[in-house]
Amino acid sequence: MACYTFYMDLDKKLEILADSAKYDASCASSGSDRGGKGTGSAHMSGVCHSWTSDGRCISLLKILMTNECVYDCAYCVNRRSNDSPKAILTPDEIAGLTFEFYKRNYIEGLFLSSGIVVSPDHTMELMLKAVRKLRETFRFNGYVHMKVIPGSDQSLIDQAGLWADRVSVNIELPTDKSLRLLAPGKTKETVLRPMNRLAQRISAAKDERRSIKSTPAFAPAGQSTQLIIGATPETDREIIKLSEALYDKMRLKRVYYSAFVPVMKDNRLPALLEPPLLREHRLYQADWLLRFYGFTADELLDEAHPALDLTFDPKTVWALNNLDKFPLEVNKASYEEILRVPGIGVTSAKRILRARRAGQLALADLKKLGVVMKRAVYFVTAGGKYGGVKKESEEAIKVKLLEHKNPNGQLNLFSESELVKEGLTGTVTGQL
Amino acid sequence: MRTFLYDGSFEGFLTALSLGLEGGDGCSISKENAAEPGLFSEYVNSGVDPKRAAAARDLVERRGSAESWQHARFAFLSEVQGAETAILDYVRLLAERGPIADSMLADDRVKKVHGLAASVGGEAHMFKGFVRFKELADKTLYSKIEPDHNILPLITGHFRARLGEFNWVIHDVRRGKAALYFKQRLIYAPLTAARALEFDGKEAEVQALWKHFFKTAAIKERTNPKLQRQNVPLKYRKNLTEFE
Repeated sequence: MACYTFYMDLDKKLEILADSAKYDASCASSGSDRGGKGTGSAHMSGVCHSWTSDGRCISLLKILMTNECVYDCAYCVNRRSNDSPKAILTPDEIAGLTFEFYKRNYIEGLFLSSGIVVSPDHTMELMLKAVRKLRETFRFNGYVHMKVIPGSDQSLIDQAGLWADRVSVNIELPTDKSLRLLAPGKTKETVLRPMNRLAQRISAAKDERRSIKSTPAFAPAGQSTQLIIGATPETDREIIKLSEALYDKMRLKRVYYSAFVPVMKDNRLPALLEPPLLREHRLYQADWLLRFYGFTADELLDEAHPALDLTFDPKTVWALNNLDKFPLEVNKASYEEILRVPGIGVTSAKRILRARRAGQLALADLKKLGVVMKRAVYFVTAGGKYGGVKKESEEAIKVKLLEHKNPNGQLNLFSESELVKEGLTGTVTGQL
Repeated sequence: MRTFLYDGSFEGFLTALSLGLEGGDGCSISKENAAEPGLFSEYVNSGVDPKRAAAARDLVERRGSAESWQHARFAFLSEVQGAETAILDYVRLLAERGPIADSMLADDRVKKVHGLAASVGGEAHMFKGFVRFKELADKTLYSKIEPDHNILPLITGHFRARLGEFNWVIHDVRRGKAALYFKQRLIYAPLTAARALEFDGKEAEVQALWKHFFKTAAIKERTNPKLQRQNVPLKYRKNLTEFE
C-alpha cells in the first residue's frame, strides 16, 4: 500500500507530482477562447511561457493529483510496484497553486492528470473537485486540460468536458497485444470507450451550439491522446494508420508521440540506451503531413516499407518515390500540389499563391517567399526554368540532398547522433 | 536627398511620411537625434501636424487596406534603424499600385516592411508568455521587460482581458516607460527607475515553487540546450523568474 509522508510540504509534493507528470508530451494551450468575468482567458493560438532544458515548452502547470496507482503498467513511473515516495495534492492545493502561478503569468493554466487512487471514479471525483474549485471559487477562465481516467463512470467523463477546455485519454500502447503485455488491467476497450464517449459529446455540443448559443461548451479545445514510441514492436505504419483513424473517425485534435524513456527496469521492456528521439521526430513530421498537407498514411508508408526513413523527412521520401509528378511549375500548380514539394511549408505555399497574383514568379523569388531552396530546387520550375540537377533521377537528387546535410560529402560518416542533432533543431514536439 | 526629421512620436512620423510622399523618390525619414549627418543631405524638420498625420493614415488605409496599415504601424514599432524610410518606400508603392502591393511578397520594399512587422508581431506574441509578474506588498502585480521592439502597446489588451481584476504594471525598462493598469484603467507613463520594490510576503515562496517546478519538468534523457536557446534566447532570460 502507498505510504504518504504526513505533513509533506508543498514544495516536496510539487516535485514528486511534477516529476511524474512530465512524460506526458502534451503542452498545448490552444484551441479555446474562453473569457469573461473573473480572472483569466484562453488564447486561441495558445501561448508558450517557457522552455525547459530539454527544449520542451511549458504552457501549463502539468501535474499529477497523485502518483499513487492501483495499476502496475510496466512502462509507467507511477506503477504500483515502484516504491518511490508517494504524494497527493488536495483540490485546494491544486486550485491555489494554479491561481498563484497564473496570476504571475508563469502559465496558461492547468494540466491535471493522476494515478488511480482507490478507484477510477474516486480519482475522477477528486480531480473534478479541484477543477471546479478553480473555476467556481477562483472564477478562473484560463485553460484547463483534464486527463480522463479510463474505467470511470460516464457521468464523470461528461462533467470533465464541461469544466475543462481539453480532455484526453492516453492510449500509450498502439495495440491491444502490447497493452495486455505491459499494462495488465487496461485493454483497448477500456481506453477506447471513454474516447468514443468524449468524441460524441464534443461533436454533439458543437452542433447544438450552432443553433442554440447558450448550450454549454463541451471541451471546446477538443480531445487529444498520446502514444509511447519504442517500448513495444509496433511499426511506424501501424502507428500512423492509428493516428489517421483517430483524426478521421474520432476527430482528435492531436496525437502526441512520446519517445520511450526507460525509467524503469523490467524484463518485458526493451533495453534502450537512449530514447528514440529521431524516430519520434519523424512521426511528428508524418503526423503534420496527415493534418496539414493532405497526405494519407498509405501514401507515406506501405507494407513493404513500414518504417519512416531516418535519413530523409517523410515528405522528401514521398517526393523521391513520385518523381513523375515533378518538377512542378509554381506559377500554375494548385495549392494542394505545392504543399507536397519538399522545402515548402504551409506558410510559404500560401505566400506563393498570393504573390503570383501580383505577377509571374522567378526561381530567385522563391527564396524570398521563405521556400527552402536547397531542398525545393529539385522539384520545381518557375516560369519554365529549372535549377536542379540536369537529369533528375531519384539517386542523383538523393546525393545532392545528402551533400547539403553533410557538406564534406563524407556520406559514410553520417552518424545517427549527427542526424539526431539535425533532426531535432526544428522539432515540433508538443507545440501547437 | 532630403531627410525628414521627426520627434520620435507616431504622429510626428506620420507627418514626416506625408511630407516624404510629396518629396519624390530618394527621400528618407529619420528620428531627430538618430540622423547621421551626410554631406549632401538636406534636413527638414517635419514637426507634428495632426491633419497631415491623418491624411497619411487615410492614404495607407484607402490605397492599401487595413492590413497595410497594420504592417506600417508594426514596422514603426520595430524601432529598427531605417524602418521609417522603409515604410516611406512601401507606402509610396501602395500609393502607386494600390492593394495588390501587399501581394508583391518578393518585392524588396514589401518584404522589408512585412518582415519588420512580422518580427514585431512575433516578439509581442512571445511576451504574452514572457511577462513575469511579481506581487508587491500592496497586491499590485509588477513586471519588468526589455524587448527589442516597442511591443508594450501590443500586449496590454491581452493582459487587460486576462488580469482585469488586478492592478498591474508592465515596465519597459529599456524605453523608460510603463503601462499602468489601475482600477480598471490603463495609462502609459514614462517610468525610469522604480523605487525599491516591496514584495508581498508570499512572493518569494511562490517564486521558489515555480523555479522548482521548472527544473523538475525537464526530462534529463532529452537534454537539449540548443533547442532551449532557440526558444528562449539568452537576451530575454534576465527578466524570467525561472532563469534568475
